[in-house]
Amino acid sequence: MLELIKKFCGVSGISGREDKVRELIISEIEGIADYEIDALGNLIVHKKGKKPAKNKVMVAAHMDEVGMIVTYISDDGTLKFSTVGGVDARVYLGRAVKVGENAVSGLIGVKPIHMLEKSEELDMPKADELYIDIGASSKEEAKSVVNLGDDVWFDSDIVTFGDGFLKGRALDDRVGCAVAVSMIKSELEYDMEFAFTVQEEIGTRGAATAAFGIAPDYAIVLETTTAADIPGVENEKRVCTLGEGAVVGFMDNGTIYDRELYKLAFRLGEENNIKVQTKTMVAGGNDARAIHKSGKGVRTIAVSLPCRYLHSPSCVIKLSDGECVRRLALLLGEEFCNA
Amino acid sequence: MLENKNALRDMIFELACADGTPGDEIQAVEKAAEMLEKYMPVRIDILGSVYGELQGDGPHIMLDAHIDRIGMIVTSVEDSGFIKFAKCGGTDARVLAAAEVTVWGSEPIYGVITSTPPHLSKGDESKKAKEFADLAIDTGMSGEALKKLVSPGDRVTVNTKTLELMGDRISCAALDDRAGVAAVLRCLEMLEGKNHGCKLSVLFSVQEETGGSGASAGGFSIAPDEAIAVDVSFAMAPGLKPEKCGVLGKGALIGYSPSLDYKISRDLERIANEKKIDYQYEVMGGKTGTNADEIQIAGKGVKMGLLSIPLRNMHTGAEIIDLNDVEAVAALMAEYVMERGRSDA
Repeated sequence: MLELIKKFCGVSGISGREDKVRELIISEIEGIADYEIDALGNLIVHKKGKKPAKNKVMVAAHMDEVGMIVTYISDDGTLKFSTVGGVDARVYLGRAVKVGENAVSGLIGVKPIHMLEKSEELDMPKADELYIDIGASSKEEAKSVVNLGDDVWFDSDIVTFGDGFLKGRALDDRVGCAVAVSMIKSELEYDMEFAFTVQEEIGTRGAATAAFGIAPDYAIVLETTTAADIPGVENEKRVCTLGEGAVVGFMDNGTIYDRELYKLAFRLGEENNIKVQTKTMVAGGNDARAIHKSGKGVRTIAVSLPCRYLHSPSCVIKLSDGECVRRLALLLGEEFCNA
Repeated sequence: MLENKNALRDMIFELACADGTPGDEIQAVEKAAEMLEKYMPVRIDILGSVYGELQGDGPHIMLDAHIDRIGMIVTSVEDSGFIKFAKCGGTDARVLAAAEVTVWGSEPIYGVITSTPPHLSKGDESKKAKEFADLAIDTGMSGEALKKLVSPGDRVTVNTKTLELMGDRISCAALDDRAGVAAVLRCLEMLEGKNHGCKLSVLFSVQEETGGSGASAGGFSIAPDEAIAVDVSFAMAPGLKPEKCGVLGKGALIGYSPSLDYKISRDLERIANEKKIDYQYEVMGGKTGTNADEIQIAGKGVKMGLLSIPLRNMHTGAEIIDLNDVEAVAALMAEYVMERGRSDA
């Protein structure tokens, strides 16, 4: 799975620009499963199992990542931008980014600390003060390589470190994509549907049409979810913990999860020796938000990897949690298919 | 103007990628000493600064650039496997959340600085960066394993890539002041085979970012007649005041300040005009905030000049310079040394 994660994080794909991710996923499943691409760009995959399923089960993972989009080129050759998805300026000030089709290198400019009053030293710049510096010295020079509407993504590599940890940009949710692809590549008991969705980060747009198109009875959303198991954060505010396995929440800001499915996940975990943990805060949201209320309604569960520093250039996960997510998702899938 | 862009760029990146926070500059010192040895005999002083010296009958001129870079210092290793740290030099806390770092323990250790997840940032909290005391380094290791490799006092630097931007601009951490070190080395290259007759000393000084101790001791030991310090200064960028900044790519910043020798400043400006070297002014009302302040009052005193390379995003991993400015500083220093040698002969 590490190889798949590395591969999928190797390309950019901010919301609305998921093409490169989709092509990579297709290259992995070509010949193994049937697929189609819907109007929004969702990749819908049908994988035949050993037998037909009693219920239609959809596994979803989103292809897009948070980033930025170029909105203006200033006379001095610097670029103004909007964020795409929820990105906190505190994790991108002074960071390297890549811009547009030419993958031009740039940096988010920082007013030198020497020029701040002592009382301002921790103040973050206002959104309209932020800019990308590609080294151009004029508007014309910048225009020769950048267009308005160009996508911007963090210039941050995949790094394995410590005791089985992985750092990278876009782990949210290329990890989910990698888990889904590894499921497609495995021999499934029952026929299953997979949706690699677009535009999750700007409001679960793709999942809405993907779920409507597939019209499943059950859905499993494969995700990363925020973990705050770091110094200075105590008790319930830590939400979940890296290394403690798959995260299955009862409620987040988008979805109240099916109570029976929630309990089933923990039971399956216990019976099969898979670590499963809950979330100790009602926080975040994912494609389940759109899927559970699609059509006549879908019984939905989200199975996530705990992820530190979510939506930053340096997301951190533990690989062992990925294996828990994969195993639990497979077991849940079988249960749902045969329920 | 730029004779050999790739060679200059590569030299700067090689210097900038060497570790070397204040008080622990050994890696950068060794790299710079190796490069300096091509031009003159080299030694390392008590504080760790690099000295180079070429004999000559003319005036004794010293060229200085600081070899240290800003960073962080480990204050404790937690049982949870996280590292607490303080700044070492003027590191900007606003750019640290979720930054990648190297912890220079008994072996280099990769880490990520913690950041507050969005769900815990209520209201205005995202408008303020965390203080150093509220940040930690995530190494993905157990406290037990980590304590065998890291101890308080070990240094930490931010990992950045070496980036080529448009035109002749480049970016990476520690261009402050490895770009200055490179300018001095490039100047020596330009002077090679030229018979200027000056006694020429070079000082790559330690601990500038924590107050200039290396410049103090170096200025005293070398005791030149005059010296030029090379540092970086603010380059104009969106949101900054033009009167406080140079401009990237517009040449060497010639310092004028009460603490700098007025004649040296004027000579540098005249020579730049004569030799058609791009320059700009950096005028300050008091001290310069560079090694020039320390060297000036070292021993019985040194006549000081200051040349600066304009730089954006100072004291972050996103420092940007224009190679033409480094070349201009080098060329101006070289012409200055040539003229001083000749005029004194």
